[in-house]
Amino acid sequence: MKIRMENVSMKFGDFYAAKDINISISKGEYLTILGPSGCGKTTLIKMISGILRPTEGCIFVDGEDVTDTHLEDRDTGYVFQNIALFPNMTVSDNVGYSPRVRDMTKDETASVSEEYLKLVKMLDRAGAIPKELSGGEQQKVAIARALASGSKLLMLDEPLSALDARVRVELRYDMRRLVKKLGITVLHVTHDQEEAMSVSDRIILMRAGRIVEIGTPLDMYRNPGSIFAAYFIGETNLLECTVSGKTKTGKTVVRLRGGQMVRAAKSVLTEGDAAVISVRPENVYAAKEGLKAEVTEVVFMGTYRRVRTVAETNDYLEYNISSDDEIPKIGDKVHLVFNKKATMVFPRPEKGLKEAIELE
Amino acid sequence: MSLLKKINEMSDSRRSRKAWFGAVCVVFLTLIIIPSIFVVFRLFTDWSSVDGVIADGATMGVIKGALFNSFSIAFIVTVIDVIVGIPMAWLLVRKHFQGKRYLDTLMDMPLAFPTAVLGISVVMFWGAPEGIDIPGLGLNLSPYAMLILLHTIFTYPYMVRSLSAILEQIEPNYETAAMTLSASRFTAVRTITLPLFRAGLVTGFILCFARSLSETGGTYIALKMMGVQSTFFTGPTFINDAKSLLGPDSAMGPMILISVLMIVLAIALLVAARLMMVRLKIPTSRVWPQFGRRLSRGTVPKIKDALSIAFLLVIVLIPSFYIFAFLTQPVAAVDYGALLSSIGLSFLVAGAAVVFDIVFGIPMALYIARNRRTVLGKMLDEAVNVPLIIPTTALGFSLALFWGMFYSGDSTAVFTAMVILGHISFTYPLVVRNIIGAVEEADASYEEVAMTLGAKPFQAFSKVLVPIIKSSIIAGAILSFTRSLGETGATTSISGAVKTVPVYIMDLVNKDSYAEAAMCSIILIVICFILIFAVRMIINRGERHA
Repeated sequence: MKIRMENVSMKFGDFYAAKDINISISKGEYLTILGPSGCGKTTLIKMISGILRPTEGCIFVDGEDVTDTHLEDRDTGYVFQNIALFPNMTVSDNVGYSPRVRDMTKDETASVSEEYLKLVKMLDRAGAIPKELSGGEQQKVAIARALASGSKLLMLDEPLSALDARVRVELRYDMRRLVKKLGITVLHVTHDQEEAMSVSDRIILMRAGRIVEIGTPLDMYRNPGSIFAAYFIGETNLLECTVSGKTKTGKTVVRLRGGQMVRAAKSVLTEGDAAVISVRPENVYAAKEGLKAEVTEVVFMGTYRRVRTVAETNDYLEYNISSDDEIPKIGDKVHLVFNKKATMVFPRPEKGLKEAIELE
Repeated sequence: MSLLKKINEMSDSRRSRKAWFGAVCVVFLTLIIIPSIFVVFRLFTDWSSVDGVIADGATMGVIKGALFNSFSIAFIVTVIDVIVGIPMAWLLVRKHFQGKRYLDTLMDMPLAFPTAVLGISVVMFWGAPEGIDIPGLGLNLSPYAMLILLHTIFTYPYMVRSLSAILEQIEPNYETAAMTLSASRFTAVRTITLPLFRAGLVTGFILCFARSLSETGGTYIALKMMGVQSTFFTGPTFINDAKSLLGPDSAMGPMILISVLMIVLAIALLVAARLMMVRLKIPTSRVWPQFGRRLSRGTVPKIKDALSIAFLLVIVLIPSFYIFAFLTQPVAAVDYGALLSSIGLSFLVAGAAVVFDIVFGIPMALYIARNRRTVLGKMLDEAVNVPLIIPTTALGFSLALFWGMFYSGDSTAVFTAMVILGHISFTYPLVVRNIIGAVEEADASYEEVAMTLGAKPFQAFSKVLVPIIKSSIIAGAILSFTRSLGETGATTSISGAVKTVPVYIMDLVNKDSYAEAAMCSIILIVICFILIFAVRMIINRGERHA
């Protein structure tokens, strides 16, 4: 199913939980809505599913205006953050709930329930009550229950946040495979950027009730449109600087706070503009010469080590080294250089860098 | 300070904690449970007097009639409460609207009215009793119907409160989830929320049933004002009046018999209700989608809400407050000395009972809440309910027989002490129940953290747990206090010499001094409201400073 939201806002009292939302989602797309807590992610899917009625704007599903359609007639599957399996029913009754309340016969209900339990590989637990299941199993049943309504539109509200790390990772790929097979359009709310990057076709990045950016995970990671996107998706070093000119090939040359010159990617900024450069730790390397920095901490991360430093400009800078490399000692002096293609330049925000990356 | 230090030190030892809990159990058994059901033993030791009653067809007929009235009225009233209580609980918990706070406060008002006062007020409103100049609706109701109207008033808040408490614990997400699966609101409630509701329904059922079964003062006054007090009986009014009807000696047999019957039936009912809770299934397999949708939208829910509020106003609130119509009359002469001394006595009894309830109730509640799985914990949990469901008049009678074995004088002070013990019996469960609920919700790890930081067990209890459960302790205390203040049956059946305020008002009604009784009632209500208001103010201020 296709979804379109036009100028949608949701106001609680004087507070906008969501403001001026304009998106269109194509059939079968897997979208994640990413953002810090309280940014309006859940409000967005609650409006699409009909749990909340937007105070302004319209929502279209397959071209039809459903803004005023009642929740129970929306035909939108919804998986709740706290799972909310009905505790007074068995697993198969939970999954068969939707067919049952649509007045299907007992046999039809049973066969629908069986079909979807099979899909999530939970048929062997059909007779259990929700309390007896593990968190991951409960979540699978909740997904089966939502799908059994036959809906081609599924909302997932942080469905994995309560699960163990290992189960979480396995389940998210299972989920994607399943909905792709069924051709279902999915909106998946999460605050976990790794989860968002690994499962989505596109990511909607939100902050304080507004959409900051929409794009594919790769685009958002490599070419974020804002400091907030660069900071929230993946990890990055942010350094305040001033544009001092351009090279012949169009690259930007900036002057850091200590006066050091650094080359960065192309940008529209011109000489004298206040700027911020963003460079991810994997694009910073130790070299024979470059920006001087002092090592403050080395952290083992599994496949690599993260080295934390304070640069001579007083900026914090982090970079990665291979686990096999020689480990620098705390207090060691190192020289750092940046991959200039991957060093992005943004205009310095008027209200300061801190405000631009604040989560709440 | 040194005493406190001593308690702290002592609380560190497992043995002294056990000894204290043992003492609490002994107090509970000897002062509350055994005296409450002592009359059952008397049935066997005094079988000869009871035997005569069973043979006496006329008296037996009256007893059977009284029992039938008591239990059938309690049942009908409770069913009414369930039907109107569910939508009202919904309104209070799930809906957000302006003035909800006021509705919430109004709900508890009838609890602050002594039932004796409600008796006068309700008969005045619906009927046109002789001797009262204020016009009522003038309906010519049967005593049975009048008692149903009366009992609905003071049981209704209990039902709404117990249902709201459960509803608050049920995830609203369940209903939303059901609706995303195409269930209408009506279907969602019927198939998901109501089945989860069973426990609250049974608690409310037991509370209301027991309350109605126990009520004496208001019932008697209503019957008296309708002029049928010596022809129409409920169990408690029969016990209350038996001595004057049959003479002190020949009354003993019938009183023992009816008390035992009421106690046994009430306990059997509690057990049956418990079993029902496990068995009861609300049928949910069939669903009527169109019908459900029609009930969930448009005017039907609005009519339902309007009816709930209308019921509260017309059946509960207006009849309760109707007694204030006496303020339009020339002020009746009131014997202020007698009134104030009876109010003082009532406050003394209620205050003493509440202090006892708190001191001995908290350890009991703590033990039950934290040892739910043990045999002793389960047994105590059930035992605490017993005095709650025994009709208070039977309980008072039983208590008087028990303590009568040790004391046969006629000192009012001793009788007053007995009355306090009686009031402790039926208020103790209210305090304990309230605190159990709060303790179960308070995470035990708070106290554990306090103890890892070096607090002694008593310090962890008094500095950490008590502040957390404080509001429940106070709620339980207020509930017990008002319940004690309004009690008539237990007081009169322990001793006719102890004139607490409801007894005083009942005496005035018996003398046909309606205007004076009403004036005394108004003064009493005003004092109660000021008191409750003051307590709330003090609590609120205390919380702001803390």
